[in-house]
Amino acid sequence: MAGTEFLLEVRCEEIPARMLQPAIREMATRLFEDLMALNVAPAEMETGFTPRRLILMLKGLPTRESDRDEEMIGPPVRAAFDGEGRPTRAAEGFARKCGVEIDALRRVETDKGEYLAATRKVVGRPVSEVLAQLIPRIVEGLSWAKTMRWGVGEGPWVRPIHGVVALCDGEVVPCRVFDVEASDETLGHPVLSPRPFAIRSVSDYRRKMARRQIIMRFEDRRERLQDQLGEAAESLGGELVADPELLDRLTAICEIPGSVVGRFEPAFLSLPREVLITSLRDHQSAFTLESGGMLLPNFITVMDRPDDPEGRVQAGNEWVVAARLEDARFFFNEDRKTSLEQRRETLDHLTFHAKLGSYADKTDRIAELAKEICESMGWREEVEEAVAASNLLKVDLTSEMVKEFTSLQGIVGGLYAEREEYPVAVWQAIYDQYLPASTDDTIPRGRVGQATALADRIDTLVGMFGLGLIPSGSRDPFGLRRAGQGVVRIVLEGDLPLDLDLIAAKSVLLFGDLLERSGQEVLSDLRLFLQDRVRHLLSLRGYAYDTIEAALAAGSSNLPDLLARVDAVHRVREEPEFLSVVLAAKRISNILREASDEDFEEARLKEPAEQDLHKKAEALRNDIDRAETRGDYEQCLRDIAKLSEPLDRFFVEVLVMDENRQLRNNRIALLQAIQRMVSRTARLTEVVVDKAEHRDRGESTSPS
Amino acid sequence: MEVHNVQSFQELILRLQTFWAERGCVVQQPYDLEVGAGTMHPDTFLRVLGPEPWNVAYVQPSRRPADARYGENPFRLGKHYQLQVVLKPSPKDVQAVYIDSLRALGVDLEVHDLRFEEDNWEAPTLGAWGVGWQVMLDGMEITQFTYFQQAGGIELEPISAEITYGLERITMFLGLSRSVYDIDWVPGGVSYGLVRHQDEVEFSKYYFEVADVEFLKIQFDGHEAEAGRCLEAGLVLPAYECTLKCSHLFNVMDARGAVSVTERVALIKRVRTLAVACAREYVVSREKLGFPLLPEGEASLPGDKGESDGRD
Repeated sequence: MAGTEFLLEVRCEEIPARMLQPAIREMATRLFEDLMALNVAPAEMETGFTPRRLILMLKGLPTRESDRDEEMIGPPVRAAFDGEGRPTRAAEGFARKCGVEIDALRRVETDKGEYLAATRKVVGRPVSEVLAQLIPRIVEGLSWAKTMRWGVGEGPWVRPIHGVVALCDGEVVPCRVFDVEASDETLGHPVLSPRPFAIRSVSDYRRKMARRQIIMRFEDRRERLQDQLGEAAESLGGELVADPELLDRLTAICEIPGSVVGRFEPAFLSLPREVLITSLRDHQSAFTLESGGMLLPNFITVMDRPDDPEGRVQAGNEWVVAARLEDARFFFNEDRKTSLEQRRETLDHLTFHAKLGSYADKTDRIAELAKEICESMGWREEVEEAVAASNLLKVDLTSEMVKEFTSLQGIVGGLYAEREEYPVAVWQAIYDQYLPASTDDTIPRGRVGQATALADRIDTLVGMFGLGLIPSGSRDPFGLRRAGQGVVRIVLEGDLPLDLDLIAAKSVLLFGDLLERSGQEVLSDLRLFLQDRVRHLLSLRGYAYDTIEAALAAGSSNLPDLLARVDAVHRVREEPEFLSVVLAAKRISNILREASDEDFEEARLKEPAEQDLHKKAEALRNDIDRAETRGDYEQCLRDIAKLSEPLDRFFVEVLVMDENRQLRNNRIALLQAIQRMVSRTARLTEVVVDKAEHRDRGESTSPS
Repeated sequence: MEVHNVQSFQELILRLQTFWAERGCVVQQPYDLEVGAGTMHPDTFLRVLGPEPWNVAYVQPSRRPADARYGENPFRLGKHYQLQVVLKPSPKDVQAVYIDSLRALGVDLEVHDLRFEEDNWEAPTLGAWGVGWQVMLDGMEITQFTYFQQAGGIELEPISAEITYGLERITMFLGLSRSVYDIDWVPGGVSYGLVRHQDEVEFSKYYFEVADVEFLKIQFDGHEAEAGRCLEAGLVLPAYECTLKCSHLFNVMDARGAVSVTERVALIKRVRTLAVACAREYVVSREKLGFPLLPEGEASLPGDKGESDGRD
């Protein structure tokens, strides 16, 4: 390819796996943007990284910046020439600086008077000079999650830097990153190919890295590993327990991707599957294998070398895995010596929050609240199991297993409860209690699980809000946003027509005098907080924000009901009659803004248009009510849309603000009744019709 | 270079001490108090403060009462041994030198998998943190490698590199032993179990069943007060010893299950307050002495001669 090529390799001590991707992305973006701003963007850019290097390879760079003219302003004219019109030193100096003769200087008028001016020809710099200036700033300025200093105080950077290769068409770009001078020399793998070698070009670099078996592109390494893992699994007659996150993590910890298969004693397979998988994943960064749903007594992990010539890597990993699984078995056996019921006492000494009591206190509240939820859902049969699950819900927090593998909280309790032969609904409720933890998760299976998971989260939210610990900005130490998200998802996806306000109010009562804020404040803050989670969730499902706002403004306590209303608005909002009622509602809202409640008397209706509006509205009232009661909100909105014609006519033919006070107040009362009638499914004024309307909306109403 | 594999606990210690002695380290001895880690030895915690260069290596028996297992667990110990190396300022080639130290143990890196995995270190009781890795050999953590960033609440400059070898683990791993008690202390002779098993059993019983919590609390209060008196008298090293006493007493109380969550936070804070005060006073005391370890003529500048400081 034509143009100049550039190779940058920053070589350093091992960068944490989780920081590599963001770093290379930032480095590439910043260099590309800076080059583009100077009109010397490359035609192609490729990136690579290993734990020890960040690599950029640019092709098709212009060889130099283009020349350009620069307008220069010099000294004021009165200072540029002496009494006899001869140029002063100032004028001469300015001409010299611009590289022109005195005669070529021009005069320009400015706010401050007349000045000398000139056009200076700026010769574009070679691109290597541009790079020499950009590279140190970009590399040193990368943003890291955590930085350090080293030596006599070098840095800050993520880890000490050892070498910088910066080559422009084979020439070293002279620059310095911290105390490291750029050169054409790098090292291979620190153990397997530690000798320095020189690089001549991008293709030379590729060749020499390949010869050392170093794969610099993340995607290539991952593919290589995936193949190796797949083959290994197949040869063992099983398949990998999929874990894309683990594969990414392992791809980021090696530059020469190799995999190693190991065995463990089949006796360890008596440990719960979840424990085995977690232990191998968290402690040994190893994949587990399964066949027909059963785990195999094997694992596969990744090493930073191509092979295992003497089997030492396998032997070492097997040794560690055996020790780890031995530990897990020890924890499991220790835990099982105490039944969950006996273990409940330990919750007395486990603080949930200094001001909100122990986990034993929390357990009592969860049980009460879960019971309340079941009752208000009409789940009579589930009450007993929900209380049983609540009582044991947090017991595993004091188990050795959860102390060792915090990510297994809940799951461990569930597994123990299963082994103690609690009813399926009970152990599953314990097992599922932290679901959904991420967007991919499902909600707890079954009613008992949903009731207890909700009770737990609402208890946490109300408690923390009651102490004023409301998340703000990026600060959310108690994970309350996730708890809120969980509540909303369980209620929506479980289709639970639960009155959340009522449940939260009950929760406030259960805290007695522990809360530091009034119940009113807590409930209203919590309502707004949950509304935010609802907004987020529904916008992910593709509903327009104003559709969501309109439905929210008409009530958000019952979320499945809210969802039905959002969906109804979504379906009808493009229809002309509906939009026309929306516009009318906005107009009514403007008119009513200053109005107080007025009494209505049918006899006072004077104009045919207002009589007509009243009549049609009354005729529709029953239909609207019935549709609403049925929960058929789409029909409800369609019925409302039928008012578009009489409303339009009303606004054309009737002046609401009549001079006659009686007439005026009666019309206001009519409109108030109409507005109430059309606003129950959704507050129509929230629906944005066009930009002009949008402004109007901003002024007239805001979500309550 | 053909180096035969280390076969025993004491050989490992001797090899590592020799290796680091040859690279200019002061070979120090264990601190003669109960400490939780080699980091708490004043030759690490205090020496990393201020501008003076410092290179040291020593074994430190490290007590972790909560990890005691009555001598029954093959991997966990209430007391284990660390070999601690501090290089200040951290030399540019510290990682390569560390890798060489593994070769000196007879680890043939041509057939092993060596990786540096992110592992940042933080000691709330010392107001200290650092950035670094756990060094993994064939999937086994054999060393903690840390660039100290802060100690006693003080930002450090120059930066020290701390290398902490877990001696039992490395010996076990090199011989692929199934139990720590089976490893040879002496090559082909006395085992680790014969040297230490009784110690583990008795101290487990003491930490978990016998220790008198009231007495521990009284001692904690007493040592805390004594630390304060020492600081007032300008005696930073005795004050630091009292701080270490408090730290260990806290660990014993904790293992005894005598510390509630709120007490825990409060006790850690009390130890930390002392450690921070000691750190501050230590820097003052060294300054008064004119930073004796600084090379001639650099008495007021941070030293950067660490690498040439008697190293080969």
